[in-house]
Formats: sequence, structure tokens, C-alpha cells
Amino acid sequence: MQNDRQRLSLQNRTILRHPYKGLGGALSVKSPSVPNFHDRMHSEHSSSDSALVKENARVSDNRTVEPSCLGQASPSEHDGNLSVIDLYGDEVESQRAEGDYDDDEEDYDDDCNYDRDEVHSDDLDLAPGEDILDDVAAVTSKSSTADGINNPHFDRYGFKKQNNFISEADYDKWWAEYSQYCVRRKHKWQLLLEKSGLPVTDDSPSRFPPKSERLKRYVRKGIPAEWRGNAWWHFARGQEKLNKNKGVYSQLLQKMKQIKKQNPNEKQVQDLDIIERDLNRTFPDNTHFQSVSFNKGPPIIKSLRRVLVAFSLYNPKIGYCQSMNFLAGLLLLFLDEERAFWMLVIITSRYLPGVHNINLEGVNIDQGVLMLCVKEYIPEVWSYIKPSIDHHQKNNKTFSPSNNKVLFNMQKNEFLYRLPPITLCTASWFMSCFVGVVPIETTLRIWDCLFYEESHFLFKFSLAVLKLSEHELSKIKPRVNSLNHSWGSNSTQRNGPMGQEDSDMEIFQVIQTFPKTLLNPNEIFEKIIFKRRFNLNRLDQDEIDRCRKFVAAQRLKFKTYGELLGNTTSEADLPTTNDNTDDKGTHITSDAVNEALSSEVYGFKKSLAGVHWNNSIKEKVKQMRKKKDRSD
Amino acid sequence: MGNSISRALGRLFGSKEMKILMLGLDKAGKTTILYKLKLNKIKTSTPTVGFNVETVTYKNVKFNMWDVGGQQRLRPLWRHYFPATTALIFVIDSNARERMEEAKEELYSIIGEKEMENVVLLVWANKQDLKHAMKPQEVSDFLELEKNLKNQPWCVIGSNALSGQGLVEGLSWISNNTNVPKK
Repeated sequence: MQNDRQRLSLQNRTILRHPYKGLGGALSVKSPSVPNFHDRMHSEHSSSDSALVKENARVSDNRTVEPSCLGQASPSEHDGNLSVIDLYGDEVESQRAEGDYDDDEEDYDDDCNYDRDEVHSDDLDLAPGEDILDDVAAVTSKSSTADGINNPHFDRYGFKKQNNFISEADYDKWWAEYSQYCVRRKHKWQLLLEKSGLPVTDDSPSRFPPKSERLKRYVRKGIPAEWRGNAWWHFARGQEKLNKNKGVYSQLLQKMKQIKKQNPNEKQVQDLDIIERDLNRTFPDNTHFQSVSFNKGPPIIKSLRRVLVAFSLYNPKIGYCQSMNFLAGLLLLFLDEERAFWMLVIITSRYLPGVHNINLEGVNIDQGVLMLCVKEYIPEVWSYIKPSIDHHQKNNKTFSPSNNKVLFNMQKNEFLYRLPPITLCTASWFMSCFVGVVPIETTLRIWDCLFYEESHFLFKFSLAVLKLSEHELSKIKPRVNSLNHSWGSNSTQRNGPMGQEDSDMEIFQVIQTFPKTLLNPNEIFEKIIFKRRFNLNRLDQDEIDRCRKFVAAQRLKFKTYGELLGNTTSEADLPTTNDNTDDKGTHITSDAVNEALSSEVYGFKKSLAGVHWNNSIKEKVKQMRKKKDRSD
Repeated sequence: MGNSISRALGRLFGSKEMKILMLGLDKAGKTTILYKLKLNKIKTSTPTVGFNVETVTYKNVKFNMWDVGGQQRLRPLWRHYFPATTALIFVIDSNARERMEEAKEELYSIIGEKEMENVVLLVWANKQDLKHAMKPQEVSDFLELEKNLKNQPWCVIGSNALSGQGLVEGLSWISNNTNVPKK
């Protein structure tokens, strides 16, 4: 039956395929990768859900057709051919990898050659016809389901293609190429897995080769979309976590039900309210998250509710923090509910420790780390975003002679606890792991690397984004131009120096807007991540781990010294709030703290020096305190 | 280039520029208002992690509008942006009567901050299109601003972010009630 269908599509191909000519197997990638959660979802389907389930089942069938479309069902025919290509492609590439920083660019060229030479074999071409038949079927059945899957305005995950920054035409134009790229990469993955003795039989491999430089490169070039859920689960060692916590998730769901029974209005658990308000605001532009009918929420929203509530019960230290709805939402598009839950646990504990905690200290630490890295690896960008002297002047209105030194020292280190304003922006990059920050295909490529390479990749990518935005930043006029400054200084206090404001504003807009235009993930990977000449690529997990410890210790010390000296406004994340309370006492306090702290410097690896701790700090603080007492 | 020309013109005709902080509980409609003003488009509602910042120009006045995430725990992230604020806009979901008390507490805790002393306060009683929404007068009475705010200009204006009703009125009230030095 299916063969007949394929043959039919073969015959029709020339007619049907015309507009898609040259896309190769690409269109099979276009067909929606439907959330995995349907099959394995915790059973809460009411009978009225069944229509949707059926619809999803239909599309799932659709997916099972894909592998054969890709010719992978008959590997024997291809084996010889493709392994030669692989030799030509990846072996060469890995040899070159030794010295040449551009090796991976070459690999992209290999990809192209490979495409030109090989992709037009008949088996590979089966896909488009097949897909179009499905499209037709989808169109005819769509009116009844109103699901929007296969709707041309939405991408393969159900996200709306168009937004404020990218037009649908731009998307389609880019996708025509990128989908080909995805097909090529998938082939390479299939070959890699076959070679590693893990042949792909059902298009959802659950085992992957051990970590290697080559695998890392494969991951960086993108995991096939259909395999992502499993691959993420594998690389993040999800199964290990689940095995240690068997039954925990269902216990949490039980607890959740009890709470609901005891408190029908759900008021007791504050997080429940907040979660509820965010559920329908999670990916409202994604078809899977849209209501099927007026008063019937889609099943993925129910899963999302359960995952988030279960999480807030599982880890009350975090509870629910906005941005976790996006993390869980994206996970649910690729993993079943229980696995999505554990991945959320892993993300919030292993990769982003403390970032979502109630006190947000984790995210502040990471911003301190990021700023240190910007300063170290992309000083050319640091000059745009570092806190200006203006800010310090605002902080310390009265300048004592000794303040000059302090001022200098503060510039050296102060940004770790008085974070530069730009971290308002970058904090959300970390909290939501770039979901909603960059376009979805780019987000997914980041997630691929995050789970394989761990959290330092988030820093590396952030640096890459900042580096790429340098050009835009350079167009902004230097801060505090004299005209603005002259009236700015006369303005009332709350208006602040507007010259500073102006350039801040423009910097913010660049940093906020620019990532949203990164439609093509390969661009940033090719331009920055794969280029060895950029120092930022030296950054590794070890560096980030050490750096996090350093910043955490610095921030803690600042806080402790502040409290020790009775500075009530010591909260490190409120840099300018003590403006108006400036009296002599707090001045000496902040001087002491600054001087004490700025004598510690973080050493990046190249210096091999590590962290230079200064043990005399406590003494210094004591002395300063004595001085303060005397002056009082 | 274009930027500098408009600035020069602005100086000639006396344009003002002000920094406006837009706050309110989560899901009050802050982001929707911002993009209605900026693009005249309705953005689908989604929680703001971090913030959005846009420049809205109206009658020679450049409003640098900061729309920051509503969830309470995210507040420390942007708190240090208080000091340079010309005006504060507090957005209220007039339809969420059960959250009015919470909104009132939040508002008073914000204007209780030192940096917010004497700041110009505009309250947008948003979502006026909804049937059961409290009227601006009701919201105003509930907030008891008259009783509690002696030193600063304040105003409650009904708004509907979807149609844009009340938004321009709000901005022009702000610009009439602030004394920013002219460029």
C-alpha cells in the first residue's frame, strides 16, 4: 500500500513537485514535528480530547513515513556511496581540524558538494511528493480540526513564522535553504550512528555514540529535529536522574491533586495562581498552545500546568519563576511530560544553578561572570557596555581625595556586584535559555549545545551575540556628548544625566533587538562559534565553574562586609538606590568594601595564575571601620 | 544621521525627552500598551522576562518607555533603574477585582521608594473594554490617591490597550505635568 503510494508520488512528482524543485528530501523536514507528549502523556484525556488525539495520531503516522522517504530504510543501496561521501566530508574535515581555524567552514562547503552530487538520487526524492500528498490531506482535514498544523504561516514546530522582526517571506526564503541543510545533516547523523553500531530504525534513536570531538561538531551543527527530544535526554543524562527518582513525578501529581481538593480555590499555594496566569500566555503564537475550541484548552497546556506545579512542589526554593513556563513549554514540544519535568529539574539545577531561585542570586552571579568574560574576551564590546564614570559619580556624590583610587578600583571590579545596566537585558537570556530571545531554530541549536557542552555554551553564545552586535553598537554615538551633558547636569536629580540615558537607551535597543534577527543559526555559528581566531572560543566549562565561584564569593563578601559595617542598603543588586541616603558613614563603608574587594582579581586561564586571594582584606575593613568610628 | 537631524529640529522646536517606567502586576497589559503605542499593533500576550524598551514620540516629546516584567520576584533585577525616572506609569487590570488589593499594595510599595518621591504618577485603569471592569473613578477611589499623595501630580485614566483608547491622553497628561528642561 505504502509502496503504491510512493510510486504514485513518484509519477506525480514532476507535476506536484515543481515549485519545490531542488529541495530534495527537504520537505520531509517541513512536515511538523509534532510534540512527543501525546502518546505518553499522563492520562488525563477526557473523551472530548479524543478528536485531537486522533488528529495527532494521524500526523504521527505521517512522521513514521519520513525515514523511508529519506532513503534510510534501504541503507544497503546507499552504504557504499554515502560512506565515500562521508570520508570525503568528515574525515577530511577532522584531519584539517588540527591547525586550521576555518576547517568547519570547509565542512559547510563539503555539505554543498554533497548536496549537488548525491541528493538527487530517486529514493531521496521520494519525500516531496509524499509530503505534498500529506499536505493535501492536511488541508482537507484542517477545517475540522482547526489545528493549524501544516498551515503555511507556521513553522515545523507550530510557531508562527512571522514576527515584528522577520517577515514570512524572509522566513520562507531562508527555510528553503536551511531545510536542505537539515536534511544533509540528518544524513550525516544517520551515517555516524550506523558506523557507531547504532543503526537508526524508527527515526527516534535513543542511544548515541560516546562523546568525541566529532560528535561535538555534529551537535553544534544541529541535531536532527525529530531526534532532539531523545538526544537532549541522552546528553543531559536524564535517564540517570529519572532512575534515581522513579515514581517521584507521579507522587508530585498526587500531591497536586490533594492540594486542589483541600483548597479548591488554590489560594494557599501562591505559585499556582501565577502559573495559571502564565499558562495561556506561553507561546500564544504556537498552534499547539492555542485553544482548540473556545473553552477547551489544548492538552499541552494541561501538561505544562502539571509540570510547573509539580516543579514548584518539588523545589520550593525555586517555586515558579517566569521564564520557566518557556523552558517547560519548549521541552514539552520535544519530550513527554515526565521527561520534560526532569529536564526542567536538570536545567534549573545543573546548568543554571540558582538562576530561578527566589532571590535571583544565581542570575546575578551569572551576569557578573558574563561581564568578566566580556571584559576578558571581547574588550572591544566591553567599552560600549561597561558602567561609565557618570554612574560612579552618581553613586558617590562627594569626592574625597582617596576616592580617586577607589574610583579606579571600582572600575576594575565593582561591576561584579553593581552590575552594568546591560545585564537587565542579558539576565533574561539566561533565565529563559534564549527562548524568545533568538528565533526558534537558533534557540534549538543553542539547546543542542547546552545539553552536550553544559552551561558554558550559554556564555559562549552570549559573547558571540554581543560580538556580532558590535557593528550595530559602533553606530551609536559616544555616550555623554557635550550638548546633552551641559543641560543634563542642570536637570533635576531624578532626570539624571540624559546624555548617558540616550546612549544607554540605544545600546539597550540594539542588545534587545539584534538577537531577534538571528534567523539563520548557521550565521552566528559560522561567523563566530566555529572560528578559532576568536578568543571567546577558548572559554570552557572549567573556566565558567571557577568564574562562578569567584563571582559568588565576591558578591557574598560585599554583602557580608556591608552588613558587618551596618550598611543597610548593601544589597548588591541595587547599585544606585543609596543615592539619596549618602551620608559620610555609608561612604566610608562603600569605600572600605570597594577597596577590600577590588584587590582581588580573577585570573583567566591563560595567565595560569588562578584567583589571587588577598587575605588581608578583613584587616583592611577593620581599619576602615575604626576610622569611621573615630570620625563619628 | 536622521537621528541627529530630528534632534536638531527637536532643539529648535523645544522637544522634551523623558524616561518613563511602566510598572504593574503581571498580566496587567503593560507590554500590550507599549507595542500598541509603538507599532499600533496588538502583540499576543506573553510574560515579559526582563524588559522591553521602546521610544515613543508624541508631539515633539520623546518618551523612553521601559516596560519591565511584572512578576514580583523579578523586581530586584530592574529596581536600580528607578533613579532616572521622569514619570511612573502604573498599569492596572481593571477587570481583575480580586487582585485590586494586591495592585494597590504594589503601587504604594513602589511610590514609597525614595527614588519615587515626587515622581509624576499616571495610573492606567486598563482593560476598560471588558464588561466587568472597574471604571476609572472606582479604581481611583479604591487606590485612595487623593488621600495619600500630597506632593506629586497623579492621574487615573481609563485605557484599552487593544483599541488604544486613553493611551495618548495619558502621554499628553504626563508631558503637561513634567518640567523637563527643554533641549
